[in-house]
This record gives sequence, C-alpha cells and structure tokens, in this order.
Amino acid sequence: MANELILSVKNLNVKFHLRGQELHAIRNVSLDIYRGESIAIVGESGSGKSVFTRTFMGLLDSNGYIPSGEILYYGNPSPRRPDNAFAAGGTGTQTGSASSGINLAKLTKERDWRAIRGGEIAMIMQDPMTSLNPLKSIGSQIAEAIRLHQPDIKGSAAINKKVIEYLSEVGIPEPERRCKQYAHEFSGGMRQRVVIAIALACNPKILICDEPTTALDVTIQDQIIHLLKELKEKYQLTIVFITHDLGVVANIADRVAVMYAGDFVEIGMAEEIFYDPRHPYTWALLSSLPQLGERGEKLFTIKGTPPNLFKEIKGDAFAPRNPRALKIDYVKEPPYFEVSPTHKAKTWLLDPRAPKVEPPEAIRNLKDLESVYG
Amino acid sequence: MNTENEVLFEVNDLHVTFGKGKKAFEAVRGVTFQVHRGETFGIVGESGSGKTTIGRTIMRIYTPSQGNVIYKGKKISGKISKALDKKVIQEIQMIFQDPMASLNERAKVDYIVSEGLINLRGRSLKEKERQELVAKALEDVGLLPEFASRFPHEFSGGQRQRIGIARALIMEPECIIADEPISALDVSIRAQVLNLLADLQKEKGITYIFIAHDLSVMRYFTDRIAVLHKGKMVELAETEELISHPAHPYTRALLSAIPMPDPIRERKKKLFVYDPTIHDYDQNPPKWTEIAPGHFLLANERELADGFGLK
Repeated sequence: MANELILSVKNLNVKFHLRGQELHAIRNVSLDIYRGESIAIVGESGSGKSVFTRTFMGLLDSNGYIPSGEILYYGNPSPRRPDNAFAAGGTGTQTGSASSGINLAKLTKERDWRAIRGGEIAMIMQDPMTSLNPLKSIGSQIAEAIRLHQPDIKGSAAINKKVIEYLSEVGIPEPERRCKQYAHEFSGGMRQRVVIAIALACNPKILICDEPTTALDVTIQDQIIHLLKELKEKYQLTIVFITHDLGVVANIADRVAVMYAGDFVEIGMAEEIFYDPRHPYTWALLSSLPQLGERGEKLFTIKGTPPNLFKEIKGDAFAPRNPRALKIDYVKEPPYFEVSPTHKAKTWLLDPRAPKVEPPEAIRNLKDLESVYG
Repeated sequence: MNTENEVLFEVNDLHVTFGKGKKAFEAVRGVTFQVHRGETFGIVGESGSGKTTIGRTIMRIYTPSQGNVIYKGKKISGKISKALDKKVIQEIQMIFQDPMASLNERAKVDYIVSEGLINLRGRSLKEKERQELVAKALEDVGLLPEFASRFPHEFSGGQRQRIGIARALIMEPECIIADEPISALDVSIRAQVLNLLADLQKEKGITYIFIAHDLSVMRYFTDRIAVLHKGKMVELAETEELISHPAHPYTRALLSAIPMPDPIRERKKKLFVYDPTIHDYDQNPPKWTEIAPGHFLLANERELADGFGLK
C-alpha cells in the first residue's frame, strides 16, 4: 500500500482569461500523491495552491482552463450510480481503463465530474461559516451526502443512525440533539467538524482540506488537526492539506510541497523540509514564523511581492525577492535537483558549481525548539 | 520593559453586559488590570472570551455595566465631558482584524486616513496641512504618498492593514488597541506588520493593547500578557514568566496548542484540552492571587496548594 499512486499530476498548466489577458496560474507542475499519505501544499496567498487542487474536482472558475497536462486518478471509481460514466465505458473512459488512471484534466461533462466529486475526492473549505447551508438542519445536510454517495444504506431510520454515527465520530457531543439544529447554533470549531462529517459521509478516497483551520482559534485548530489525523487512519484517507502557515503542517503532514508563483519549488518528507530545507523560499517561509522570533529583534520578512503571473517568468521566480540570488537565477530556470530519493528542490544552489550558501541561522536548529517553550 | 513607569490605563472590576432581563449576557465578568505607558499589554483568549469587548469598552464603544476605566487619572467610561471625549478619541486609536472589511470601499485612501482628523479638527484643518499629514502617515507605515489617490481594492491584504495603521497614526495617539491585527494575514505579511508595529513603538513611544488568540505571536511581541477565559481573567504575568511558568490549566492549553515547525516533536505532542469542570468553585470560590512578583492567578486555596492537581 505504501507506495501506490492514487493521483499523479503531470506537467499541468492552468490559465485564466482575465481582463483580456492570460494569467498563467499553474506553471507546468508535476506531483505524485500516494494512497494513504497526507501531503501538505504550502504557499503564500496567490501562489496557486487552491487553484491547483481545484483542478482535481473540476471546480475552476469559468474563465479558467487547462491548456496542457494530465491529472491521472487511480482511485478506480466504482459504478455506484446509473449515470456513472465510468461504469458503462461511457464518455469518461476515453483516456483509458482504470488501471492506467482517469485523466481528470480531460473531463468536461458535469455528469462525469459527479462520479468524482464527493465520492472519490471531497473537499473541506476554509470558512465553516459559509460552507454550510443555513436553512437546512445539520443532520439533513449529512443525510444528503449519505443518500447520494452510500446508496446501499436505505431507509430514513438507517440513514439517521448513520448521521448520528458520523457526528459522534467527529467529536460533536449529544449528536441525537445536535443533528436537528442549524448551522448558526454551532461555534466555528463545531461547524468545521460538521463540514468534516459531511465530507466523510461522501466516503471519499482523497480529502482535500483547503486551509481548514485558518479561520479558527489556535486551540480549536489543534483539535481539528488531531481529528483529521484520527479520521485519516480510520477511513484510510489520503489527505491533501493546503495552508499558508508552515507551522501548522508539522503535525499532520507526511510530505510537504512548497508552492511559489504556480510552481513547486521544493518537495520532500516533512522532516526533510523542516530540518533540512534547501530552497531559499522555504528558508524564508520558515524564518518568518513568529514562533521563532526573538523578543526585541526584528522578525524576518520576505521583501517585495510575488511575481506578476500575467507576464512570462524568466529564470527562478523567487530570484527578485531572494537577497542571495545567483546571477543564473535571473537567466535560466533551475531544474529539480535531487537531495534524497524523496526530497527535491528547484534551485541553482544545489548545482555542484554553485557557491555554498548556508540557510539562515534561525532555522538551523528547529529540533531544539524545546528550549523556547519548555 | 517600562513596567515601573506611570500607569496609563486602569481597568477596575469591569463588567460588560449585553441585552437585558432574561436575555442578558455578561461578556466581561469583573476584569481588573493596569497598563503602563510605553508597554505592550497582551490580552489572549479564545473566541468568545471577551477580549474584543474589553478593547471596545476602553474605546468607549460599549458602556460598562459595572466598574470603570481610568485613563491618565480620569474616568473615561460612562458619561464624560465633551472635551475629555475629544481627547480620548484623539489619544486612543484602534486597529481592526480584517483589513478587507475595515476600510470604506467607496472612499479613497486619502479620505480614509484623514477622516478622524477631519472629524476632530473640523474647519481648523487646512487642506494643505491635511495632505501633508496624510503623506507623512503613509510614509510612516511604508506606503508611498501617491497611494493617497487610490481606492482600497487596489491594495493587497498587508497593504490594507498598513492603511489601517496609518489611519490610527495620523491622530498621534498615545495608545493603540490592536484587535487581532495579524490574524487575517499570511504568515510572511504577518512578520512585516509586526515589525512595523514594533518600529512605530520605538519611534513614537506608543502604548499597545494587543489582542490575539495566538500565544506564539504574543511571546514575541508583548511585555505582559493577560489570559482571559469566558470573561474572566485567569492569569496575568510578564511574558517570559507566563511562557516559562504557566500556572493556570487554560494557559497551559493555549501554550500546548501553539503549532511548532518541528515534525518529530509535533507528532509526539499530546492534545491538552482545558476542562473547566475541574474547578470546585461552588464550595471554594477562587481569588485573584499574586503567586510570584507580578504574576497573578485566579485560583482557590486548594488549587494554589496542589497546582490544579498537576503538582
């Protein structure tokens, strides 16, 4: 199970038509996601991390399109519904059988997508205040997902039982009473738990969490992350966790992919990214964490702004903001250099001819943080 | 840093109640603290703990139902004279959490930044002086004076927050109440805004009341921290002391929730959830006690003796 691919993105490009111009949001990105892992995608706002994962579910805005690239899904969607395009060898299967994967980048019909959304890949959005229907009770919103995605559960009594099961699963006390209540009767953390319950009720294989804790308090954030970890084990989920805060993902992520200007600049196991980061942008993200700030000293900041994606980017996209950029960074785009079989980074610093540049002092000893917080 | 200095604010047994009769809800239930001139005083607590309500009551947006707020020796809560009201408006300013929601979308930056000044000075404010002051305030927060003629939607989140800070600075305040000023911002932008606030304090000697839910930012930024839970202050101490010797279980829960960029340690971490039912306050009510110099704790005798059952 350990190294079985579930989703493989190959040279994906995403563009948007915007005010008569073309915005190149995702620039030739490849990423493999393995069954049962949790991978974190980290980047600033506008780096394209949400757009990237939205392509998995066909949720791009109407002005967005995929000019080239593949998103191969190996989840093997089961013929659960009569209108399931993959069951009858219908329109969706033009890209080959399930063993070679379904190319999600080529899906256009809503009914093809319906076989993927929820049941195969589900998503938790950032703001639990807006992702629930205020007019329907919590229980009926979960029941809706069960009815659609678990057709073998029949009859309202059985469905109700299942709803209560999911609610207690996500840690909501008194589920029998709470399932009759409405979204406004829940606190932010509890609402996010309900959203997770709905996602679970779809019985997905991949769960995309798009900044699920950004709108929440730290204590609640901690609880939600622990909950997601538990559910991942129990339901054998593959989790794609999107965030702008590297500090948050140390707990949940097996692997971390750092995104900048629509491209992954560094990908590696969590230990590799935190203890041995190689890309200057990863260094910058880590050093600007207030957790590492010393009182009375300035916090590290990243100078400048992300590049304009309407224009073509030359060389390393991060070079103009990198105080230690090399000359070649402005001329030629670096390839991936392999640090270990699981760790690669897109920076010329890893070229054998490059001068030796040490990462900033503040992030060299992340293992010794104990001293700070006791 | 300047804790020996003069007291700027005194908040005495503050209660704030919303609603009346049966529906009454007491958001702040007897909070007492002092803020010294030039320090950064942090108020930390989860959502619903009343931290914003305290900030807003000091700003005179809410009226306390009991207790009072003393500023520079004068009571500023409840009914006060017009002259004092003007002085308070000028000297205490606020920065809000969400820079997307706190700026008037239909006004140019020029007007947003100087609105307070126009209201305060009226006709005595000449156009040329106003423009100069706006330009200076924008420069102080690291924005170009040319931005004055633009609208808020043309700016990024970090820049908008700077506009919010410029709007407070132009009044030349003694004290700024910063209500979660960085919670809605990206990590990299957070650092910029925190550095800016720290620089401004050094330059102008502004006192900050810094409200947040995240102790990691507090540790870096504040001199003293008050921990608030359900409208009651449970612990108050100098930052270093509070971080290294947290006494109240709620403070410990907040500390343990800080996410650290250290995967091995994080995976081993046990979730520490504060359970208010451990207290036996019905029989043995808690008292606000000084357990070390400058370190206050809300606890009863039993809890003081056994350290909330953790000793």
